[in-house]
Amino acid sequence: MIITIISAILILLGVVFFFGAALGIVRFPDFYSRTHAAGKGDTLSSFLVILGFAVYQLKDFHSFSHDWPILLVILKLLAVSLFIFMTSPVSTHALMDAGWEDKVKPEIGEGKPNHLNDDSEKF
Amino acid sequence: MRLSSIFAIIAVVITGGILLYGVSDFPSFGDPKSPANAAVPGSESVSQYFITKSYKDTKVPNLVTSVLADYRGYDTMFETVVIFAAGMAIFAILGSVGGESQPRVQEEESSFVDGDHSRIIVGTTCRLLVPVIQVFALYVIGHGHYSPGGGFQGGVILAASFIIIALSSDLDAALRRLSEVNYLRLACVGILIYAGFGVLCQVLESNFLDYGVLQPILLTDGPEMARSHSMLGVEIGVAFTVTAIMFAIYANLSSRGTLRDGL
Repeated sequence: MIITIISAILILLGVVFFFGAALGIVRFPDFYSRTHAAGKGDTLSSFLVILGFAVYQLKDFHSFSHDWPILLVILKLLAVSLFIFMTSPVSTHALMDAGWEDKVKPEIGEGKPNHLNDDSEKF
Repeated sequence: MRLSSIFAIIAVVITGGILLYGVSDFPSFGDPKSPANAAVPGSESVSQYFITKSYKDTKVPNLVTSVLADYRGYDTMFETVVIFAAGMAIFAILGSVGGESQPRVQEEESSFVDGDHSRIIVGTTCRLLVPVIQVFALYVIGHGHYSPGGGFQGGVILAASFIIIALSSDLDAALRRLSEVNYLRLACVGILIYAGFGVLCQVLESNFLDYGVLQPILLTDGPEMARSHSMLGVEIGVAFTVTAIMFAIYANLSSRGTLRDGL
């Protein structure tokens, strides 16, 4: 019972972060902040959801000698989350870098400090 | 509108019309009287046969693999040939095969280590991930008997690992691992492996791709296991061709057929 509750909390938390990421993609003003929302929210939320699945697998785990295949499933789930952890931020980074190379201008609010021209002759 | 495009439209309309005309002859989805579902008098239906007998015939738990690579092996062989032909069509259109073949200028492998910070992150991650992707691709190819997978899927994953190398550094880095000559060889060898299994069965006085007779060659216990192992061999042939052609299509399209610079 307690395992079900823990996994449900983890999955719900993941869904909340997913919602935040989706909201960010729709609501944020420019390319960079939208990509930021997608990359950050997506990584953490999929990690939380998969962690929830892994915890839920422990429900049927009673003895190590008999139930060891469950540990294999958990290992696979953790491997999946590890790969998402490695690839998702890097792909977001590559996307943003491609935008920067392509001279996509970030949106800067009125009266906010502008550091764009600090970095060489990009713009 | 040019004359050639009018002819093209006529050809497309006629072909599409013929295809749509053919659709009307199909039995509706799930029709119990269709040839696939209905039992022929005196024996059971095709799908019943596959579901009940395929494990006994081939000792392959994955029904899809046994149907794809054994019962309908002839069909799958020409699916592989279609992929091969698609690759050849790309070469024919972009016209790169047999072009200039002087060795490329060798750049230092470590050119991205200093200076460009973004390529450190992407390059390092890809170097860490590519071996894992390739091992997983081999697993998908070899494990197609027991789980979803097989030659087509594993071949595409293997080709994706080479495409990742090309994307993370440049096309030359990928072509150094799988050069133009080698991917063309790999594509041909894949189909030769597949057809070779068929011809070998004919040599042993059976039908083309009737793997059961390969038992004395493969040293298995019984013709069922011979069929199972032959399916693995055939899947490896498919994987070779798919890997080579997928990577070749990427390499040619991204460099407009010159195999230089790339994206």
